[in-house]
Amino acid sequence: MTVGVVVDMMLGLALVALSLRVVTGGSLFRDIVLFILFGLLVALSWARLGAPDLALAEAAIGAGLTGALMLMAYRSIGADTEERPVRRRPGVALVVAVLTGSLVAVIGLAALGIERVPDAAGDAVLEALPGTGLGNAVTGVLLVFRGLDTMLEMAVLLVALLGAWTVLGDARPGRVHRVDRRTPLVGSLLTVVAPITLLVAVHLLLAGTDAPGGAFQACAVLTGCGVLMVLTGTLRPTAVAGFATRLLVVAGLAAFVLVGAGAGFVGHAPMTLTGTWAVYLIETAMMLSIALTMTLLFARARGLRGEGS
Amino acid sequence: MAPDALAVLVFAPLVAALAVIVAPPRATTALALAGIALTAPALWVVTAAVLGGEVVEVALAGAAPPLGIAWRADGFSLTMAWLTFVVVAFVSLHALASFPSTSDAGRRFWPMWLILVASVYALFLSADLFNLYVTLELVTLTAVAMIAIGGAPAAMRAAMRYLLLGLMASLFYLLATALLYGQTGTLDLYQVGERLGEGALATTALALMITGLLVKSAIVPLHVWLPAAHGKAPGPVSAVLSALVVKVTLYILIRLWFWAGGALDDGLAAFVLGLLGAVAIVYGSIAAIVQTRLKMLVAYSTVAQLGYVMLLFPLASTAAFRAVTFHVLAHGVAKAAMFLAAANLLAALGSDRLQRLVGADQRYPVNVLAFALAGVSIMGLPPSGGFVAKWMLLEAAWQSQGWGWVAVISAGSLLAAVYVFRVVALAYAQPRPASSVRRPGTTPRGRFGATSVAALALAVLAIVLGIASAPVLSLIDLGLPPGMAP
Repeated sequence: MTVGVVVDMMLGLALVALSLRVVTGGSLFRDIVLFILFGLLVALSWARLGAPDLALAEAAIGAGLTGALMLMAYRSIGADTEERPVRRRPGVALVVAVLTGSLVAVIGLAALGIERVPDAAGDAVLEALPGTGLGNAVTGVLLVFRGLDTMLEMAVLLVALLGAWTVLGDARPGRVHRVDRRTPLVGSLLTVVAPITLLVAVHLLLAGTDAPGGAFQACAVLTGCGVLMVLTGTLRPTAVAGFATRLLVVAGLAAFVLVGAGAGFVGHAPMTLTGTWAVYLIETAMMLSIALTMTLLFARARGLRGEGS
Repeated sequence: MAPDALAVLVFAPLVAALAVIVAPPRATTALALAGIALTAPALWVVTAAVLGGEVVEVALAGAAPPLGIAWRADGFSLTMAWLTFVVVAFVSLHALASFPSTSDAGRRFWPMWLILVASVYALFLSADLFNLYVTLELVTLTAVAMIAIGGAPAAMRAAMRYLLLGLMASLFYLLATALLYGQTGTLDLYQVGERLGEGALATTALALMITGLLVKSAIVPLHVWLPAAHGKAPGPVSAVLSALVVKVTLYILIRLWFWAGGALDDGLAAFVLGLLGAVAIVYGSIAAIVQTRLKMLVAYSTVAQLGYVMLLFPLASTAAFRAVTFHVLAHGVAKAAMFLAAANLLAALGSDRLQRLVGADQRYPVNVLAFALAGVSIMGLPPSGGFVAKWMLLEAAWQSQGWGWVAVISAGSLLAAVYVFRVVALAYAQPRPASSVRRPGTTPRGRFGATSVAALALAVLAIVLGIASAPVLSLIDLGLPPGMAP
């Protein structure tokens, strides 16, 4: 038995044990923390399965941003009552567990019978990739070959933000519990971490054409920076979405739409990217849009303004 | 020409949505109407090509399946696209008045409305299982957000329940897509149909996918989210939810079953689906009869009417396919009219309790007329579109000697008559309390002009569809499933 197999088995066991703890734990707060841990282990699993792009995305978005949103929601619903015990209904839990368990079993058994087919889409991607000028097959699929999916996913994200604004109604932006920046550690953390996250985000974006990375991973890192600035009060939530905010929020989808529809006017099939410039343009716009959208969702705000303004 | 027109269907509303978000509110109306109006000539171009015997196809990004995604328009998808255009056009007319673009609600409504239109078109064009998943997510999420636009707690609860069940359904669909890709190496719906053999995997995947789609289509017993979601949403949203949003999953279900689901070609599964439909027809109708609120009555009527679509699976004949497709059109138009009329009455009366309708024909004649005309089509009385659909469906059931189905279809129409007449009788025939009689000098329609016209126009269209069914049926005939001859 190699070390790899041992690691895989430990990962597998830890995932099951953690998920069990998440659903049977006695406190909502601890469940959220365990869920974030669960996301990190899933990311490790993806890395072990040889899917670094997925691992990065899972760690940044699945564990990081989702965790931040959950903690934010926890604070807003739990602010009045300190750590109330979660009411469990064992009967319902048992039924759900049995149903989910059998679903997993059926799908697992069915998946065991899968044989590798010769003419698969994945092979076609590896064959066609050199023609695109990209070195990363994932970016090739997301931007070039199946760009329509990614474009519509950007629309999903936009609708999520519009929906959140709808639910927010006329309420003033949520009060964000701010950390005092005069606390020595927080101040220096901000001055050091913020520029580094920017650098990492841009690096991930550029690396994504040839190596694991891309707009989704970059935006997650950038959002981390945004969340930090909201938490320290460097960015303050506002109740109005200004022109710049609205423009930036739609930029990712707009870049995709303009390039995708524009291809039709110059004699290509719709959604054709006519060069790597289009990949860079769309990825940059997507990174900015997603990062702003996620930061706005975190801050429960329609806009953001600088501290002094 | 025709392949480019497909792109216009999706991109015109999408560009309009982005422009509406960025531009100042006073430009909203023009932008939105332009985005929707541009799809009409595009539809016309595609229809001309399809009537010329062509299947309009385009490989997006020039990458043919299995590498990329294809859009594919045949008679079936085009019929659905035309339904989309007609419903969206008239409901937009209603929304211009009920969601004025400068109001807070209007600013929230129009971008999501346009994205919904683009995603419904994209769904009807898509020939790719994963792309269908993305469009479906977009449709559901937009619908959820639009239910919550009013901000009432009941609507929020309904939206939340719809969201959670919808997400579960999406997960089922996505798991099945992964299994199908693993087995066939392609996501293209038609290639999956060619490559998928029989076996445990195919059965598991298709069963999962169908379950997910049934949840989103609100087929009894998976309908629990629908009545509240459709009943509590704002009028134009209810209309498009019942006329289009629940139909898109039925469209995918029919595509999957007849174009790619050879592995499930056994009588039992088809019979079970038909049985669910029969239960839906009876249960939905009875639930509609006992409602005390107008919009909830109309919502339960949707639960019942969706049941007829499920009868296609056991009948599985050309006649049944034509009937069911026509039923989807007729119900879409009539139900949109009914919901708009109900919303207008609710806005005018301040409540949609059925007792409040007494004497409403005097004060709101246009809306009551619209409701009654749409009801004629829902009941299946001649010469409406609903009559043609149900008559053809009866004929199809008769031909295949499915006497049980014949009984269910007939019973459904009778029960529909009960709930429609309950409303119409209250509005027209009750002795009127003195206060509700129109006083001379007051204008009855007043501020509900455009909204009433939209409801009435759709209701008239639901009737006209019965008289002018021939061209529609010839379009449907160009989209018959493989193995069915006109």
